[in-house]
Amino acid sequence: MNYPVWEPFMLGGGLVIGIIAILHVFVSHFAVGGGLFLPLTERKAYRENNPALLEYVKSHSKFFVLVVLVFGAVSGVGIWWSIGLVNPEATATLIHVFVWGWAIEWVFFIVEIAAAFIYYYGWDRLDPKTHLIVGWIYFGAAWASLLVINGILTFMLTPGRWIETQTFASAYFNPGMLPSLVVRTAVCIALAGVYALITSSAVGDVALRNEVVRYAAQWLLLGTLIIPFAGIWYISTLPGMAREISMGAAPAVTIFAGLSIFLSALVVAFTYFGPYQRPRHFNLVFAFLLAVLALSTTGVTEWVREAVRKPYIIYGYMYANSLRLADIERVREQGVLKSARWVRERDVDPNALERTGEEVFRVECASCHTVKGYNSIRFAVKGWSWMMIDYQLVHLNELKGFMPPFVGTEAERKALGAWLASLNPPPASVAIEPGPPAAKSQSTDATGEGASQQ
Amino acid sequence: MIPVIPGPVPVPLPAPLWLLEFLLVFTFILHLLAMNFLLGGVIILSVSSYLGRRDPRHHELTRRVSRAMPSVTAFTITLGVAPLLFLQLVYGQLFYASSDLMAWYWLAVVFLVMLGYYGVYWYQMQHDELGPKAAWVILVTAILFIHVAFIFTQNMTAMLHPQDFYSLYLNGKVGTILAPVTLLNVTRLAHFVVAAVAVAGLGVALLSRRWQTDSPELADWGRRYGVTWFMAGTLVQFLVGLFFLFSLPVEIRQALIGEKLTAGILILGIMLALLALLSAPKSLAASSVAVLGTVSVMAVLRHFVRLAYLRPYFDPQLLPVRGQWVVFSIFVVLLLAGLAIVGWMLYVFYRPAATRRASP
Repeated sequence: MNYPVWEPFMLGGGLVIGIIAILHVFVSHFAVGGGLFLPLTERKAYRENNPALLEYVKSHSKFFVLVVLVFGAVSGVGIWWSIGLVNPEATATLIHVFVWGWAIEWVFFIVEIAAAFIYYYGWDRLDPKTHLIVGWIYFGAAWASLLVINGILTFMLTPGRWIETQTFASAYFNPGMLPSLVVRTAVCIALAGVYALITSSAVGDVALRNEVVRYAAQWLLLGTLIIPFAGIWYISTLPGMAREISMGAAPAVTIFAGLSIFLSALVVAFTYFGPYQRPRHFNLVFAFLLAVLALSTTGVTEWVREAVRKPYIIYGYMYANSLRLADIERVREQGVLKSARWVRERDVDPNALERTGEEVFRVECASCHTVKGYNSIRFAVKGWSWMMIDYQLVHLNELKGFMPPFVGTEAERKALGAWLASLNPPPASVAIEPGPPAAKSQSTDATGEGASQQ
Repeated sequence: MIPVIPGPVPVPLPAPLWLLEFLLVFTFILHLLAMNFLLGGVIILSVSSYLGRRDPRHHELTRRVSRAMPSVTAFTITLGVAPLLFLQLVYGQLFYASSDLMAWYWLAVVFLVMLGYYGVYWYQMQHDELGPKAAWVILVTAILFIHVAFIFTQNMTAMLHPQDFYSLYLNGKVGTILAPVTLLNVTRLAHFVVAAVAVAGLGVALLSRRWQTDSPELADWGRRYGVTWFMAGTLVQFLVGLFFLFSLPVEIRQALIGEKLTAGILILGIMLALLALLSAPKSLAASSVAVLGTVSVMAVLRHFVRLAYLRPYFDPQLLPVRGQWVVFSIFVVLLLAGLAIVGWMLYVFYRPAATRRASP
């Protein structure tokens, strides 16, 4: 309502965020888990007096720096960039609530980056003990940054008491925060294994390769063992509707939720019967395939987590289209075109209903729907007569629980309906229904009273 | 045209405005220092890489300077997060709107930075293996980063012109609307790029001091070479800066020169830059302190320019405040602890070899 709506053609804003976010999650959890893997494996090498293993840790740290410090860090900035563009209102709200949280995370980033460089460049400069301490500092800072951002992420789905209290503490210590932290920590451990499988499968020395491949597989199995238990705990904190959406109410989300479990099980099975039991037969191609499988698991799981938050972007506070629940009555009375700032027209033009309808669509629907691309609205209303569309708009949030209600004047709703009906050729049944309001009556006034069909 | 300024979010600012603006400017100065070294550094490396095809001194200098670049890139990005966070907090109503209008360009920053960052690593890790191609790698990297600077300049200027938002919106498709590339914007960009080259020149001179033990000749030459970049850059900057001042709209310039405070800041900045210039051949330390002062003072002045631009349209003083002092205190404590930890790590890393490990 408040900001110009960016419509990234076929993708839609949600998918732009999704693509960047999923890639980031896949690397950033490795940034934490890998941070635990490095000092623990380095310590193991010292304890076992195993210089070959130490050499492996060194080479793994180079891979780690190149993946984590560059892609991990910049893609994290990329999420911030994209949410600010796609949903500035929600981003601004989060920043107002959590700016000191982010400032704290920023401190952890600084320590994390300094530690990563000193760890990486310090292999030949620091004594083993100091080098290990730097490794632990890295891990501490990396996990602490997860601790901060995790609370902000879960706030969006389970804002808890913040809606009444508006305090930082109630926002951060929200119901989903702790279980999600355990899930994500377990994911970090599992992903440390996934990435270590890639580097270990490229080790030349066969004996060392077998040892490290098996060791890396143990990390993956340990992480994935914790996830289901913590996951159930996390799901128990979700709002009722979010659970319903993922368990049958919205088939696509349910299928993805099932897929998340299925893919996770596949990862476990492949890891157990592959690198864990038969490290000798494991190779780089298998490692990459396993990584792709793990990335797919991450992708569908994060997608489900985002999808169950519908129709909200901040649960119970702000809808996915940036409309605050507190503003609904005002917008309903005033009209969406008069409430929005970035529109080309503020009144419903009875002679150009479709043009006005498209404007209403842009303001109220385009944050989730594209016209012809991802989550296409043209496809969603295919075969619907304008009366059917109007009925759906009136009862939008009742018929589709994961959508916000239509908010606006009756005339705006009719205009939106007329535009939606114009996207597809009229269905055969339209002959027995009255035509859209514009065609029926030229006397429709701006408030739409004359066009009411209800 | 009526300015279209989005309304504020109904959540109060979590600290008084003065504190947020202080943090905005202070962290921006930190970002500027790292960014100058990065942007100016890749430009100097491009030139030296080309010259290094024939001159071994240039070749060796690029090899050594390039080692610093990955961490400089990392810190440029990380130190840039904080000022952008505080900018979004206080000026988000303008910033998100201007960003959305140019969304594709703005989003491109992420990809340009990532490519540039990998360029920096590629150049550093494969410096000798790349041979003559190294010059191309670092040149492309420099071009990528200059594009980032251009996009930033466009957005940071666009957000100061809410009176133009609506006409821009009406005449384009959201996401592809780049505000007109005016002479002012180009001068502003040049002001940043030239400053970066000058500061990075000083950085090269400072770095070369550390080569004194293993190759004193290169160290001396590197110092002179860096100082030459610094002095040339600073001299050009006086012209660019003057031109920039006179490219500003009359009312903004009046507000700057006419007010005692801002005029004083401007004069102080110029004096410090002169001091840095004159002391550079004799004392790098004195010159560095003066440069630090110049950058800080100019960043403060830049903030006043922003306020002058926005005065008719937007007053952040009107935003409600409810301090979150407990979590702010945690931030301060963690910041001090974090800096102490970083300081300790740097100490153990750079302490003389005799006190470090004997053998692995």
